[in-house]
Amino acid sequence: MDSNTEDIKKLMTEIIGKAKEYGFDEAACHYSDNESINIDILNGEVSSYENSRDSGFTFKGLKNGQMGTCGTNVIDDDTADYLLSGAMENCGVLDDDDPDFIYCDPDHKELSFSQLSGAYDKNTYDRFKELGLKIEKAILDIDPCVKAVDYLSISASIGPTIMMNTKGLYAFTDSDGITIFAGARAEKDGVVKSGGHFWIGNDIDKFDLDSFIDKVSDNLITKFGASSVRSGSYDTIFKSDAFVSLFAAFFGNFSSFAMQKGLSLLAGKQGTKIASDTLTIREVPMYEKALNKIPFDSEGVLTYEKAIIDKGVFSTALYNLKTAYKDGIKSTGNGFGGNIGVSNIVITPGEKDFDALMETVGNGLIITEVSGLHAGVNAVSGDFSLLSEGFVIENGKKGRPVEQITISGNFYDLIKNITELGNDVENNLGSRGEVFCPSVIIKGVNVAGDGR
Amino acid sequence: MLSDDRINAIIEASMSKGADLAEIYIQDAGSRGVSLLNGKVIRASTNRTVGIGIRIMSGVNSVYVYSNNLEPEGLIHMAKEAACALQSGSKAEIAALRELCKSSPSKIEIDPFSVPKHDTVEILKKASDYALSYDPLITQVAGGYSTGSRTIRVVNSRGVNREETKKRIRLTMEAIATKGNEKQTGRVSPGTMRGYEFINEYPFMDKMKECCDTAIRMVNAGYAPSGKMPVVIGNGFGGVIFHEACGHALEATSVGIGSSCFTGKLGQQIASSVVSARDNARIEGEWGSYYVDDEGNDSSDLLLIENGILKNYLVDELGSRRMNMPVTGCSRREDYTFAPTSRMSNTYIDNGSSTPEEIIAATDNGIYCAQMGGGSVDTATGEFNFAVNEAYMIRNGKIAEPVRGATLIGKGPEILMNIDMVGNDLKLSAGVCGASSGNIPTTVGQPTIRVSSILVGGREE
Repeated sequence: MDSNTEDIKKLMTEIIGKAKEYGFDEAACHYSDNESINIDILNGEVSSYENSRDSGFTFKGLKNGQMGTCGTNVIDDDTADYLLSGAMENCGVLDDDDPDFIYCDPDHKELSFSQLSGAYDKNTYDRFKELGLKIEKAILDIDPCVKAVDYLSISASIGPTIMMNTKGLYAFTDSDGITIFAGARAEKDGVVKSGGHFWIGNDIDKFDLDSFIDKVSDNLITKFGASSVRSGSYDTIFKSDAFVSLFAAFFGNFSSFAMQKGLSLLAGKQGTKIASDTLTIREVPMYEKALNKIPFDSEGVLTYEKAIIDKGVFSTALYNLKTAYKDGIKSTGNGFGGNIGVSNIVITPGEKDFDALMETVGNGLIITEVSGLHAGVNAVSGDFSLLSEGFVIENGKKGRPVEQITISGNFYDLIKNITELGNDVENNLGSRGEVFCPSVIIKGVNVAGDGR
Repeated sequence: MLSDDRINAIIEASMSKGADLAEIYIQDAGSRGVSLLNGKVIRASTNRTVGIGIRIMSGVNSVYVYSNNLEPEGLIHMAKEAACALQSGSKAEIAALRELCKSSPSKIEIDPFSVPKHDTVEILKKASDYALSYDPLITQVAGGYSTGSRTIRVVNSRGVNREETKKRIRLTMEAIATKGNEKQTGRVSPGTMRGYEFINEYPFMDKMKECCDTAIRMVNAGYAPSGKMPVVIGNGFGGVIFHEACGHALEATSVGIGSSCFTGKLGQQIASSVVSARDNARIEGEWGSYYVDDEGNDSSDLLLIENGILKNYLVDELGSRRMNMPVTGCSRREDYTFAPTSRMSNTYIDNGSSTPEEIIAATDNGIYCAQMGGGSVDTATGEFNFAVNEAYMIRNGKIAEPVRGATLIGKGPEILMNIDMVGNDLKLSAGVCGASSGNIPTTVGQPTIRVSSILVGGREE
């Protein structure tokens, strides 16, 4: 802990120490500090370089069970007053029927979890520039039809978060990470295609250029010659990220808040079968393969491993302190950022590799990408209709690429129609942690296209 | 805030290793918001963020550094580090700072920050009570109100010294109808840069009734058909189709690097001859307006397409360098944590000559999309998708039964050529656009239009 952290801790102590004076029953204060660097590569040079240091406070004050919040990144003599009076004003308009809480586990008053890689110092401008130029060249060398790498960025960030409250909690975490995104454009006979890939890690030495380039190639070059398909019902393999994207759009339905407010059709279905036997989804906060382990949530509740769906049975909804109280149970450690969220998710894989999955399907489709998830889904009813692309499967083999189709249906039917999962687990970016998921076969997916 | 002397010192430090432009962006922003569910206030928050972004450019290369710490010594140090990273060979002269010029596109009679949150909460509660007793099918009602204020100052090494203040209000009301396992929503979410008088004049109960009626109609509706067919798209938020299918691909962000499907098409026909479109940032009080862009340039009322011919791109400083074209004053960013880039403001298809009734009557069979949801686009391939929130079949030139779950997909350049009728009922509608420089308020708009053929992804064949 450096002197800056000590100063921040002192200021936070002062802020929550004044809470009673302002009329709060209990209070909590969160602080986060982030340093980051980013470079963009374009046409053989660094087109942009970014460097930042950014921090801020959020204050939560509880009065008569109502939680008012106020945030600022202005750190000066008036910070405490701004946060406290802003939150108090907000308490005055809140009239939620359900009380909220500030919490500290008496056995875990001090929570500290540092997962710095020790490799952050390698993330220099020169190192990123060298790697970026190498990636750009390797992508352009994939095939003469690759015309440009329109987007290539390498960024890294590091920083602590600190949480303190009037119940005696002091919680500290810090972590660092690197992300690499590349998007390329290829053109053949006047037809333009775009595709790319991403990598996340915390040690730049662990980046594997060859496998990254293979993925970019897979996501770009194979798209030429695509056309639509005839409308109809298809047995379909969703590649990992397509399945995760679709699933994520409906994941809010597993929140106890949505259930309590009548906004999730899963309300009252805990312990019942909602999906195919083949589907098991677990939250594993400390998953060894995850870049960021998440030992406690942002309410200071310890997280723990649990099944959300176990062999098709909906085993537990996700709770924070407030919704748990309403249902008379303990929080499941899913209170994140004032809402309900999850840490790392692991979808249990099957045994077959991708080729074997295609053989199982025989004739059908592979969906590699779904677009428009922020608009083309009705999160409450489960209905979706989404622009998609992928490939046909003919006689158990990958056939021509497919574009300009929509897949549509209902999420709750979809998860019942999963017949098998592959062993080709990939990690995907989640909202907070990662989602580890293989390819998934879903039978009878409704497809609209104008092919013949 | 920083004095002019300090600002000059930061600019000098930024240019100390050579550069052709140094730019400082200082932001002071505040927001207040409440969310209601079923007539109860479940969230209330207040926030203030202050920060600075320093950009140094040399040709088409740039360095951007930002921080929330406005302590001058630290900023000068940060600027020097940035200068070292850019390592420009040449150095432009630093012009003397002009006198500070202030502006505001907000049209305020009553400052929204002067009105207690309680006042708006009471109105939203009444609207919520009304909806919950409107029909047994209405099971949930959500509402929200937020108001934001933002003052930006842009100073650069060419002597630019501008300050602009914007105050905005966004309102949301949503009614949810339930029938068995089916839930459908009716929603309005107006946004404005007018003052609290906008709230005083807003017809809350009429709009809430519309939300309820839409939700009830849609929950009772069957699924939309699939396949290619003529589609009539209603005015207002229907303009999201132009925003996605064309607007993004006219931004220098993609045109400047040759990745847009409209690169090199100035003066060429890219849309059917009935289509003219503008990006007008200078409408006082409109949600997506600004008089000074985030690079300190005057914004413009830009003609994008005239009778189908491409007239202008949206060009920012970087785009101007890449494309060798003048800037159009369209550079925007969410906040100081983003370097600015070319973005849209209030972007719309202009009025045509048909009445909406004529357009429907001229359509034998198809779909009428009364309310669009959001969408997205790949600017390289032009492929787009939009969700339709409220749709009806058109049969024999008449609006028939409601249908739900439709998505429109296609390729931008094709769809623009397929617009064959444009109405005379132009309406603008507030939205939020996300891209590389963050989420910004933008307005979309159009009159009622007809697309002769578009692929509808529904559930029924």
